[in-house]
Amino acid sequence: MTAQTILLVEDDPSLRLLTARAMQEHGYRVRSAATAPEMWIAMENEKVDLVVLDIMLPGTNGIDLCRQIRRESDVPIIFISARASEADRVLGLELGADDYLAKPFSSRELIARIRAVLRRGGAIDGREEDSRRNEARFEGWTVNFSRRELRSPTGAIIDLTGAEFDLLATFIGQPQRVIGRERLIELTRTRLGDSSDRSIDVLVSRLRRKLAAAGGNPPITTVRGVGYMFNAEVLRG
Amino acid sequence: MILKRTLGGVSLGLLGRIILILVAVMATEFVTNTYLFDRASQFALQEDEVERMAEHLVVAHRLFDQAAPQERTPLAEQIRTERFSVRWSPAGPPMAPSYELNTLRTQILESEPELVATGLALHVHGLPRGGPIEGSMTLTDGSRLSFSVSQGHGFWSLTYSRLIGLVAPTLVLLVLGGLLIRHTLRPLSVLMRETGRVGTDEHRPVPEAGPSEIRKLIHAFNAMQLRIHRLIALRTQALAAVGHDLRTPLARLKLRLETIPMEERARAAMERDVQEMDDLLRSLQVYLGGEGRTMPPERIDLAAMAMTLIDTARDEGKDAVYDGPETLEMIVRPVAVRRALANLIDNALHYGGNARLVLRRLEEGGQGPVAQIAIEDDGPGIAPDRIEEVLQPFVRLDSARGRNTRGMGLGLAIVADAVRAEGGTLELANKASATGEGGKGLRALIRLPIVEKDPARAERS
Repeated sequence: MTAQTILLVEDDPSLRLLTARAMQEHGYRVRSAATAPEMWIAMENEKVDLVVLDIMLPGTNGIDLCRQIRRESDVPIIFISARASEADRVLGLELGADDYLAKPFSSRELIARIRAVLRRGGAIDGREEDSRRNEARFEGWTVNFSRRELRSPTGAIIDLTGAEFDLLATFIGQPQRVIGRERLIELTRTRLGDSSDRSIDVLVSRLRRKLAAAGGNPPITTVRGVGYMFNAEVLRG
Repeated sequence: MILKRTLGGVSLGLLGRIILILVAVMATEFVTNTYLFDRASQFALQEDEVERMAEHLVVAHRLFDQAAPQERTPLAEQIRTERFSVRWSPAGPPMAPSYELNTLRTQILESEPELVATGLALHVHGLPRGGPIEGSMTLTDGSRLSFSVSQGHGFWSLTYSRLIGLVAPTLVLLVLGGLLIRHTLRPLSVLMRETGRVGTDEHRPVPEAGPSEIRKLIHAFNAMQLRIHRLIALRTQALAAVGHDLRTPLARLKLRLETIPMEERARAAMERDVQEMDDLLRSLQVYLGGEGRTMPPERIDLAAMAMTLIDTARDEGKDAVYDGPETLEMIVRPVAVRRALANLIDNALHYGGNARLVLRRLEEGGQGPVAQIAIEDDGPGIAPDRIEEVLQPFVRLDSARGRNTRGMGLGLAIVADAVRAEGGTLELANKASATGEGGKGLRALIRLPIVEKDPARAERS
């Protein structure tokens, strides 16, 4: 497997150097650009697997730049912003960015985001539908994965904790199939740092509660001694 | 009506005072006028009456003088009219003349000098104006002729209609004056209203109108308003620039920390420092940027939001409890409201050691349903006299709350802003004062109007 190429667009020279070094240490090929024109040249010269874009570049508004890139290609984009505002994050994601990272970030956070985005992006190679910003629907509920948002049949945003959302995503990924406790416990361990049996039960019961609030039965059934099953039809896209 | 309402509304404001002045002027004018007019017309009336009375007296004097004494009593009957009556008596002491009526006597004598010789004496019976004027004359044979002249009713009845005639224009003038003054003062009341919003909103100059003094005042006010808005904008810009520009060096610092070989404990401490700076900048940016306030309102489940925040705290091992319904849908700006609740829960956990969120849907008469969110802790609370203060930005009560405070003291200001944007209210109180017993801890009470229909939401703030 050849190293994947990341194009880093960052106007601050020191930060560019530090960020590039952090990515190189994790095995990525890094091309750097200080300005938007440099970025376009770099993108013409070789195939880029991911763009890491500081949206406060001089000359061009990063948001506009993101829109332009999206018009040209489907390359995954990670925004880096000095404005840690929720409005910016949502706007960036709406415009087609795949993830968002606020300054200051650690190299661990950056690499984790890069890996996640590349994994999602890599998975769709060969499929015609872009599922990086996918949505899933079941029984009137809508799940938006890039915004990590669940909407009830009435259209209301139902907040979920990170662990609850991951659990729901796991269920939706394997509908109508029994999912073993062990797998779910693994999930809670990474999220909560607590791998007791009880915590997965708590998590499932919270999710059930939220899915039942709109009326009707939550589509999660317990399979005694084995695990849980999500018994609703899931529509993708 | 308009006048009355204005008087009621402004009470003793400028308009009230001016109208009072107007009333005083009008009243003075009215009294003076009435008095003068009264005197003049009284005089005129008397002139008229005096002549008739003098005539009567002359005629009566002549008739009685020529008549034989035995004819005089029947004669008195014959010449009696409704207003004039005479009585003859053979002799008697002359009546004491009343000095009050000296003027009248002089007038009568001037009118009919013939009467001078009769020893005319006049006096008044009863009320000076209403009662009959009585008097006596001496006939040439020394006998006495007494007479009584009743005054006409004309004077008083005339006065009533005259009074109305006098009062009506005064009242019209008063109303007209009031309306004109109100109109003149309107720019001032606009100015007053606008003064209350300086610095809270966009710069909005007050139109320069009204009399020149008020124009000048409005002009000066507009200039001042502009200066204040510039100052606020400048302050916001400066703070935003600080928040923004510090992030790049902070990002460099954070990445450098990872690459420099150093003792693990020192690295962890420095990373905490960077994290703290990050938190400070974040709260500054959230406060200045009004996080999520620019985003459109959306339908959310407030119960799910509250449960999620509480559960997140529980997952971190904190003592947090949720008490409320499973679902409560309403339309709000999600990010701002979530941030507000999170800040209050964080505060409760940080200063009180625990957090209890009680959510209730209240049906309050008239104003529609309300979502009431109480976030309580069992900590030391806040000194009652400082509760107002903590809602102000950049205020921290380190000493009052015992422990070291994080952040810039913007948490509650952010909450207050978010709640205000939703048309809600925020109250802070110590539980002791709320329940009347010795309980401790702080309770933050948010009330948000429950908006269920999307269109109504569109333009609320």
